Amino acid sequence: MARVYKQFTSNDVTSTRTLLHESVPITGTIISGTYSDNNIKNYSHGMFQSVYDYPYLSSSANHIFDLTLGVSTGYSGAVTITSQATKKVNIYNELAQVLVGFDETGSVRNFDRDGQLATGSTHTDLVYFNFSRLLSKDEIKKGTFALEFMASSGYAVPASSALRIKVYDSGAADVYKTNSPAGEYGILYITNSAGSPVSGTTIQAGGASAAAVGLIYYQAGIAVINPVIIMCDSTQNINGNQGILSSSLTMNVGGDLIPAMITGSTIQATADALRNRLYNVSFNNTTEINSTVYFCRVNHNEFNYSSNPTYLANSKIRVKQRRSDPPVAYPTAVGLYSPDRELLAVGKLSAPQRKDPAGEFTLRVRLDY
Amino acid sequence: MGFLDNSGDIILDAVLTDTGRMRLAKADGSFQITAFALADDEIDYSLYDSTNASGSAYYDQNIKLTPILEAFTNNASFMKSKLMSLSRNDLLYLPVIKLNELANSNKRHAASNLFIITADQTTAETTALQNVQGILNGYDPTDDAKFIRLDQGIDNSAVPPSTQLPPALVESQYIVKINNDLGNLADSYGALASTSFIDDDGIASYYFSLTAGASKVVTRNTITSSGTSTQTIAGSRGTILSLKISTSLNLRDSDSLFTELGGTTTVEGETVNYIDTFISIEGLTTGYRVDIPVRFIKLP
Repeated sequence: MARVYKQFTSNDVTSTRTLLHESVPITGTIISGTYSDNNIKNYSHGMFQSVYDYPYLSSSANHIFDLTLGVSTGYSGAVTITSQATKKVNIYNELAQVLVGFDETGSVRNFDRDGQLATGSTHTDLVYFNFSRLLSKDEIKKGTFALEFMASSGYAVPASSALRIKVYDSGAADVYKTNSPAGEYGILYITNSAGSPVSGTTIQAGGASAAAVGLIYYQAGIAVINPVIIMCDSTQNINGNQGILSSSLTMNVGGDLIPAMITGSTIQATADALRNRLYNVSFNNTTEINSTVYFCRVNHNEFNYSSNPTYLANSKIRVKQRRSDPPVAYPTAVGLYSPDRELLAVGKLSAPQRKDPAGEFTLRVRLDY
Repeated sequence: MGFLDNSGDIILDAVLTDTGRMRLAKADGSFQITAFALADDEIDYSLYDSTNASGSAYYDQNIKLTPILEAFTNNASFMKSKLMSLSRNDLLYLPVIKLNELANSNKRHAASNLFIITADQTTAETTALQNVQGILNGYDPTDDAKFIRLDQGIDNSAVPPSTQLPPALVESQYIVKINNDLGNLADSYGALASTSFIDDDGIASYYFSLTAGASKVVTRNTITSSGTSTQTIAGSRGTILSLKISTSLNLRDSDSLFTELGGTTTVEGETVNYIDTFISIEGLTTGYRVDIPVRFIKLP
């Protein structure tokens, strides 16, 4: 009997999982400067700032990340916060309960510096980089995340890039934490990337007492960074988090350092100051592709004739002159069908593939989900 | 020593059709891939040049140069001409499906070359449109002897009708598709057929099989004589498909689809609203497919 459909057997179908990585470089001038901040969207609630890769009123603009600031309740008790105190605490608690979770009493945990929740100090003030799902996809690839800041002490617009520090997840490809309800995370460390804004190597990444300056949550696509540690010198110490630069950085035209901005400036003003210092952001994202591979096995005695109307001239096969000539067909597409013969998926060949009784081939048709 | 040719394994990415996505979204288990088929929609086999002076290696050079389109995601737009598997390699002739218009009751409308279907009672009972060749009563198909007939077989006298069509080539099952918003299919006596499936575009699929007994849609063609006035297949004959079309309630009760999809024309001196469409007939055994043009009309 002639047939046009061939049933798959259990040996013809398999599934695979592939991790696809893309490199995402974000130049600092896009974040601050190139578009005169027309790509920065501020909201009347003032709780965060959105950064786009193009003026956000354009339909071509893509959301890159959101930037915000949070302080813990403990911080609020130690120092008087005069600007947006409640909102800064709310931001901290919201992200802490999602990313760090609750302790055994049901209280929200603070962000821990070294990831060992039972002991050690915590971050009480943090800036948050919430990367868009468009960029981070399923997750940020471990060991690829880096933020570079300009670390010349004086304030300028644009900031001087003569001295720079890099905050990155050193060694996280092999060592990372799993005790977060939001998935895996790594610890961010600091290193000099231009000049020596950080003196001494022991507190830099790879050093004997490397300073943990923040955390990167890979699946959530959120980086949290303690701005006091990376933008102040050792004279600044907030709740045990001491600055590690040689000189504190002036963050605005008024000459404020980061601790003063955390307490006295709005979230928006602090975000603006940080963007002005941002030199580069880079990471690799990860997309998990689950595929089903259908092996369409075309044997020598199959699919040698066509129902194409041009295949026949007065019912005679055009590609045969005599009965003894082998039948030939030239498939260009493969269709995947349901039991009731509805076309569910289709794949195309790049060129017509000659099929005759002397040959056979297997089409590996991949369907991605 | 050369490298082995490893080109026998071809890798290609498939895209889901709109029906595939719809079934996946339903999450009711209807997204189930169980079979595959090959098609050659872009190929024009008349380019096969068996007289090429350079030799047989060049016979198909024009076919191999055919540029291939990217996949369409509309499930009805691709895989129209499928490849067939036949156990015999010595076949020189293959059957076709062909409109049989030899009898007046099976002819298309002479002026328009279409089958014209009257949509409502008023149109069907208009004197000028009654008993006209190619104008079928879609309001009440039981009240009209006219129907659409397709014959299957080898349309070449080199294989005379007296030769029995190999069983492998007898089309025993057909799938017929029609826009469900416009019409429904009926057998040659006018009894409505059951829809097997309606896809996301509103295209209804009907399955008709050659069954033992008196099937009114698919019947075996038993005429083995040549030179008859009723047979359009010149050679060995397979089956006959006989159909009528009943208009949908949408067309009977409302003019909106005529406004949206059609226009106004004159048929047999009557000014009517019309919608042009087609019904698609595919043999499930041989994959051979033919589209029949149809026009629905309704008096304003």
